[in-house]
Parts: sequence; structure tokens; C-alpha cells
Amino acid sequence: MAGAGAGTGRAVPPDTNAMSKDVSDRGSSAGAAGESGRVGRWIARLFRATAGFSGLSSDAPASSGWPWAAKWRVTSFGIFLGLAVTVVWAVTGAHYFWPGWIWFALALPLAFQGAIRRALRTNGRRALAMHAAVSLVVALAGIVIWLLSGHGYFWPIWPFLGLAIALAGHAWLVPMLPNNREQALRERVAVLTRTRRGALDVQAAEMQRLERDLHDGAQARLVSLGMSLGMADELLDIDPAEARRLLVDARIAAGDALADLRALVRGIHPPVLADRGLNGAIQALVLAVPIPVEATIDLPEARLALPVESAAYFAVAEALTNVVKHSEASTAWIQVHLADGKLSIVVGDDGIGGADPEQGTGLRGIERRLAAFDGTLRVSSPPGGPTLVTMEVPCEPSSQKTSPS
Amino acid sequence: MRAVIAEDLALLRDGLVRLLTAHDFDVVEAVEDGPSVLGALIGHRPDVAVIDVRLPPTFTNEGLLAAIEARRQVPGLPILVLSQYVEPLYARELLSDGAGGVGYLLKDRVMDVGQFVGAVRQVAAGGTVMDPEVVSRLLAKRVRDEPLGRLTTREREVLALMAEGRSNAAVASNMVVSEKAISKHIANIFVKLDLAPSDDDNRRVMAVLAYLNS
Repeated sequence: MAGAGAGTGRAVPPDTNAMSKDVSDRGSSAGAAGESGRVGRWIARLFRATAGFSGLSSDAPASSGWPWAAKWRVTSFGIFLGLAVTVVWAVTGAHYFWPGWIWFALALPLAFQGAIRRALRTNGRRALAMHAAVSLVVALAGIVIWLLSGHGYFWPIWPFLGLAIALAGHAWLVPMLPNNREQALRERVAVLTRTRRGALDVQAAEMQRLERDLHDGAQARLVSLGMSLGMADELLDIDPAEARRLLVDARIAAGDALADLRALVRGIHPPVLADRGLNGAIQALVLAVPIPVEATIDLPEARLALPVESAAYFAVAEALTNVVKHSEASTAWIQVHLADGKLSIVVGDDGIGGADPEQGTGLRGIERRLAAFDGTLRVSSPPGGPTLVTMEVPCEPSSQKTSPS
Repeated sequence: MRAVIAEDLALLRDGLVRLLTAHDFDVVEAVEDGPSVLGALIGHRPDVAVIDVRLPPTFTNEGLLAAIEARRQVPGLPILVLSQYVEPLYARELLSDGAGGVGYLLKDRVMDVGQFVGAVRQVAAGGTVMDPEVVSRLLAKRVRDEPLGRLTTREREVLALMAEGRSNAAVASNMVVSEKAISKHIANIFVKLDLAPSDDDNRRVMAVLAYLNS
């Protein structure tokens, strides 16, 4: 039953649902999107029931709960019933053609199913299309009833009028509804496009920095090491003292290359974050800050999603660096907690305040990095302090556990 | 002297075995993954163990956790922890039992064979050896809070060298003063850090711990 299946999918695609949740987080058309999702689900269920009952389906058997053969049986049964009553009518004297009513009753669900399926296929204003389709079927049903009941006075004109007015009203209202789902989705796409570009820019810049650091650091030192070893090899028999000096040089170059690589790794993915997760990594950060920092960390045992963990770590590191560099604070505090699928981090200090995220690239970089996860960064820093940097990132714990202990 | 080694990379494991054997250590077992470390440590109770922080299967800090657990079961079991990077947080965890016989060094230090073997012997003898990088990273912190704030600059320098596991004589030669002057500095440090007179080695560990906790 791919038709019904696809209809269900279209009515409530799972990611659209998630998206509308995100959108609601941003405070725009929350209600409208959620409502239309619910209506869509309800209609899909009704549609499935109708399709099943009418038993007509041209779809693949695997895609629904109804086996294809059973549906075919129901359809054949319907046709058989129609024919049977017609025969009964013919045998009993072929007076008033009452089987027309039976046929009508059998055809009605099919008509509804066809109309709704067609309506679901339209893009955009699906509710309006659904309304039009149902109105059309009701109008046709009216005409058929009028025909079957002896076509006297054309009373269906009145329901037609009512349906037409309702439909026209709906069509007139739709463009005026503020923030419908389409609008919300369009805004969402714009945000995603912007943040994706931001994330890719950050990544590309990182890669370039890594390449340069490797080229000027570890690689250069390894070349020098190789040269020292090569010269030592040549001098070993002629001038052992000089050869020994070169060997010492080589050892120093190896140590420097390792130190460079360590610094590089710390910048990509700090080992302590890999080992201990966000909790341990923040404690390690706090240990390196020269002023007392009170860290209140309330995180579940399970690890957070790795990219979020990493972004959060660098955000805290940047915030603490700013505290040390600019705030002249005597104490600072960090609060981290995960609730309602949202990771909240607050870094505060009792310093001089007056921090401006527009100045300097640090906080802006963090903001862009967090934006890739729909995260936000707010800075409150009145002159005289205190400074509060608040970061929020939607986040679920991943299945990966922290190191066994 | 009986030693146990835990290192997952065969190249480094064989190198360590060769290096220690050449310096008259008897390597009784060289394990390559986290789960076997604890068994080897408890089973052999070696005079010293050299353990890599990062081991399979999780490749996080299993070696460190095994070392801490082994020392919980056998207090003071001498263990030297090696790592590609050093993290003051881990140094603090290793030292927190206050028992001594602990070392925490960068793997790079293996390149200076003489100094490395010296460090292994010192840990075996119950000493405390911290990598200069741990010490310097902590030294970068301006010390504001008590009780370390009470120490003079000179005393803090002495404490940093003590944290690296140097003997009084080594500290003296490093700072180009007499050993007697160093003893006096150390005595002052103990007093200022409220460390009651007891076993001198233990007080050294406690002083380093206070330093790492600052």
C-alpha cells in the first residue's frame, strides 16, 4: 500500500516533525506547525482505514499491514456484492432500481480515498487541497443522491453553496495566516544554510592552520633530525666527538617534533576530552586557570555526542581564557548541566565586565561553532561586572560510555 | 630488580624491555592491554612497573586507572606512568594516596636513557617523579591562594624541582647553591605547608601534592 504509506510519510515525515520541534524552540510558529502535524497524522490514519476498508489498492504488498491478496478479496467481494444485488433486483422483477443505492454506498469510500490521495500529493497548501477534494466528493455524492431519488427540485444547490463559501473562505484565509509551516521551514532552511557554511568555513580554516603548523613544526624538525643523523653517520669514523654532538642534536630535534605534535593534538581534540569526556576535560581546564574556579558539573554518565562535546569544550576553554586575560576577576565559576535535551553552560566571573563579543574573534568563532548545532551564545557583561557567558546547545547523550572505571 | 611493563605498541614495548634489561632490571612480564595490567601488577608485585596511560581496548586512560586501582590494593606499589601527553589532573589523581613511589612522565623522556632509568630507580625507591611539563604548566599559574602563597619564589623553585623527583643534591646543583641551603629551604617549605615532621620521603610527596592541588 505504497500510496497510503507515502501519504503517511508525507503527512508526518519524522524529520519534519523534529524540525517543527526545533522551530518551536526558536519561538516562531510553534503551535501552527505542531497542530498541522497532528491533523496530518489523524488524516493519514483515517485514510489508511478507508483504503483498507474499500480494499482497493494497486500497491506493493510489502508496504502495508494488509496483505495484497486480502485487499483483492475485499475488492472482489465488493464487486460481487454489487453484481449479486443487481441479479436479485433483476430476478425480483426489475422494478425500482434500488441496487443503485448499494452501488453508491460501495463507491463512496473509493471516491473519498481517491480524492484524499490526490490531495496529499499536492505540494504546499495541503490542508486546502484536502478541503477542496472532500468538498468535491460531497458535492458529487449530493448529485448522485439527487439522481437516485428521482431528480425533482435540484436541492443540492444549497449544500453546494455552503461548501463553496466554506472553501472560498479557507482559500482566502490561508495566505493571511502568519507563520504557517511553510514559512517556518523556509526560515529553518535559511538558518541551516548559513550555519552550515559557517561550520565549513571554520573547518577549512582549521585544516589550513593544521597544515601550516605541521609544515613549519614537526615536519621541519624531522627533516633537521634526519640531517643530523645523516651527518653523524658520515662523521662516525672520522670525528666521533662531532658525531656524538650531532646525535644529541638529533635527539633534541625528535623531542621538539614530539612537543609540536602534542600541542597540535591538544588543539584538535584534547586527549583528556577523549579519555574523560566533557566532565573530566572541564576539570582539567579549571586546574590550569590561575584563579579559583568553582565548577558545578551535572552531566549523565553516558558521553555526549562527540562533536557537541568538542564544541562545548573549546567554548569553555575560550571563555576561561577571556576571564584570565581580560576580566581581572578574582574568582570565576562554571555551571554545566544537561536537561530537556539541552546542554547549558554558564561561565561567570566577578571581574570588571564590559566584555563585547563583537570585539575579537574568540567568542565569535565559538558562536559560529555552536550555531552548527543550533546552539546559542549570550554574553552579559555590564561595566563593573559580573560577566556571564551563557551557552546552550540541543544535545542528547550518545550511547558511548565514559571510560570504564 | 623485578619490573612489569604495560605498553600496547610492540615497537615501544620491546624497546622498553631491552632498555630496562640492559640496565639490570628483570622484566617479569610485559603486557599489552588494559585488562591484563591489574592482574600482572597484583600477581607479580614487582619492584617497579612502567605503564602506558592509553591502552586497548578503549584507548583512553585505562593504564592510569589500573595503576590507581593496583595502588589501592597494594599501597605504595611503585609505578611509573608514561604518556604521549601529560595532564596535571592525572598527576593529582596518581599522587592523591600520598604514598609515594609514583612517577608520571612524557614518553619523550625515554630518549634520555640515563635520566629515564634514573627516574625508574627513584620510583622503585619510593620517590616521586613528575614530568617537568606538569611542573611547568602548574608553575605558569600565578600562585595566589594559600598556603602556597606563603612560599617565597626561591622556595617555590625548590618545590618545583622536588616535584620533578630530584634529590637534594640535584636540586642544589641545579640552583647553584649548597646542599645545606637546599635542606634549609625544604625545611621551611614543610613548615609553611603545615607538614608535620615524619618520614622525610612522605613529606616530600605531600609537599608535591599540595603544589599540584594549588
